[in-house]
Amino acid sequence: MIRFALAVFAIVCMVLPAGAERLFSSVSTETVQITSSFDGERLTFFGTIAPDAGAEQKFVEGPFHVVVVVVGPTQDRVARKKTNNFGVWLNTEQVEFKGFPSYFHVLASTRLRDITDVNTLTTNYILPESHAISPNPAGWWQTLNFGHELIRLMSEQDLFGVQENGVLFHSESFYSAQLTLPSNAPPGPYIAQTYVFKDGEIVARKSDGFAVRKIDFERFVAFSATQYPLLYGLACVALALFTGWLGGVLFRR
Amino acid sequence: MARNTYYGTLVLQIYLPIAELSVNLFFLVGIGGAVGFLSGLFGVGGGFLLTPLLIFSGVPTAVAVASVTGQVVAASTSGALSHYRRGGVDLHLAMYLVLSGIVGAFGGVAAFDLLREAGQLDLVISLGFLVLLGFVGVLMLQESARALLKRRQGVVVRERQANQHNWIHGLPWRVRFKKSRLYISVLPVLLIGLFIGFVGSLLGIGGGFIMVPALVYLLRVPGSVVIGTSLAQVVAMMAATTVLHAVQSQSVDILLAFCLMVGGVAGAQFGAAAGMHLRGEQLRGLLALLVLAVAIRFGLSLVLTPDDVFSMAVTSVAP
Repeated sequence: MIRFALAVFAIVCMVLPAGAERLFSSVSTETVQITSSFDGERLTFFGTIAPDAGAEQKFVEGPFHVVVVVVGPTQDRVARKKTNNFGVWLNTEQVEFKGFPSYFHVLASTRLRDITDVNTLTTNYILPESHAISPNPAGWWQTLNFGHELIRLMSEQDLFGVQENGVLFHSESFYSAQLTLPSNAPPGPYIAQTYVFKDGEIVARKSDGFAVRKIDFERFVAFSATQYPLLYGLACVALALFTGWLGGVLFRR
Repeated sequence: MARNTYYGTLVLQIYLPIAELSVNLFFLVGIGGAVGFLSGLFGVGGGFLLTPLLIFSGVPTAVAVASVTGQVVAASTSGALSHYRRGGVDLHLAMYLVLSGIVGAFGGVAAFDLLREAGQLDLVISLGFLVLLGFVGVLMLQESARALLKRRQGVVVRERQANQHNWIHGLPWRVRFKKSRLYISVLPVLLIGLFIGFVGSLLGIGGGFIMVPALVYLLRVPGSVVIGTSLAQVVAMMAATTVLHAVQSQSVDILLAFCLMVGGVAGAQFGAAAGMHLRGEQLRGLLALLVLAVAIRFGLSLVLTPDDVFSMAVTSVAP
């Protein structure tokens, strides 16, 4: 809870204008609803860069670059490595990553290394790797290795990704970015952090939240399974017995 | 249900609320039906085929094992009921097996959770399937090959040897099981139940393919009540295991289980009808080959260099 409060505080601080530019941004969907037919959803992030409220200038001067970082709820995750022991492949090594994002996608208007330097990208958690280099009892070398592999595994499931042509500028100051949330996107609170870069410096930033939520039947099932596990289990058994019995009755002739 | 038409084929995706992923509905009902057909044909629950298939198609191991447990209940219910109507269930014997089986299931579900945390669940499941299926498969193949050869030589095969006794019949605490016409010690009965309860809940299988040979060869239960008693035991024990999994690991996906059930229950009826055209030893031989094939598949997965030596898992969801 404290961690969450700190995160909110940090975000509030970050929303404060950093330069003479100001960013107005929004996301097309505030709640992504998971129904039985949920098969991913397309989201659009859009916004416009304007002069800051107190600034004297009447229009903004580019060129700007925009990076949108979409982060899903965090989890504790382990990366494991199999090694060959006397001819049998076993999971022998593992590194745990606490508070690792379950979803992380970066959308940028051009190649990230053309926008700014690696240091800025890392300290602002724009690169996926920046989540895997936090201090870890496993030692830095193992952490680096396993972190790299974990990000690769997440990318293979479409949970991590970088799209360096993901943000499209429609005018000097108006942009939009499209993101397809996959069907295995974990439910929970998401944050879309948008950075505006000019000459390699962050000149404005803003964060927008959206939620991925199970609704109706899916929500009911997930809720029952965690809140009333005994009843849920009994319901599963009753359903199984009924289906089995019904099958016998229907097909017996 | 979403209807997306890709290149003219109808794809029905369904979102599984506990597995938290979207799967093709036809695929689920299809593998449920195919495995149901085999289970009807051979008179086994089919969990030993379904669990590996689901794991292979991307369902998390824990969800696959726990949900198949529910499907096995459904697949065995209609068979158990029809055997019961024909008087083919020794309830007294089944009760002993179920009670010790539930104790075993507690151990199995606890071990399941411990192994999952330690990251060795997949290994133990592979190893368990390999050893168990390999052992049972070889035994069954031997037995059915012998029976087929004898039949070819014109020797009449005796289905049961109830009058033959072995050391198991000399153990203390003897109980009379009227329907099975047995007067044997409860110790081997309880041990069999305990073992199958443990292994079944750990591997997500009903254990019918272990139970039947154990009842026939170890306890000398007559053929007329073996299948019915085994099925009744599977229903009761897997029902208890489903509840245990739901409470302990919370990984039973009711929607996944239901899709598999629908396919499985329908497939089983056709399988049972097809089974009428095959002789007992032929069926057992085919089942033995199938069991061995799955065992070899698991064996290879342990020995061959994996495609990816790295894997990942969620240990806990941060608040």
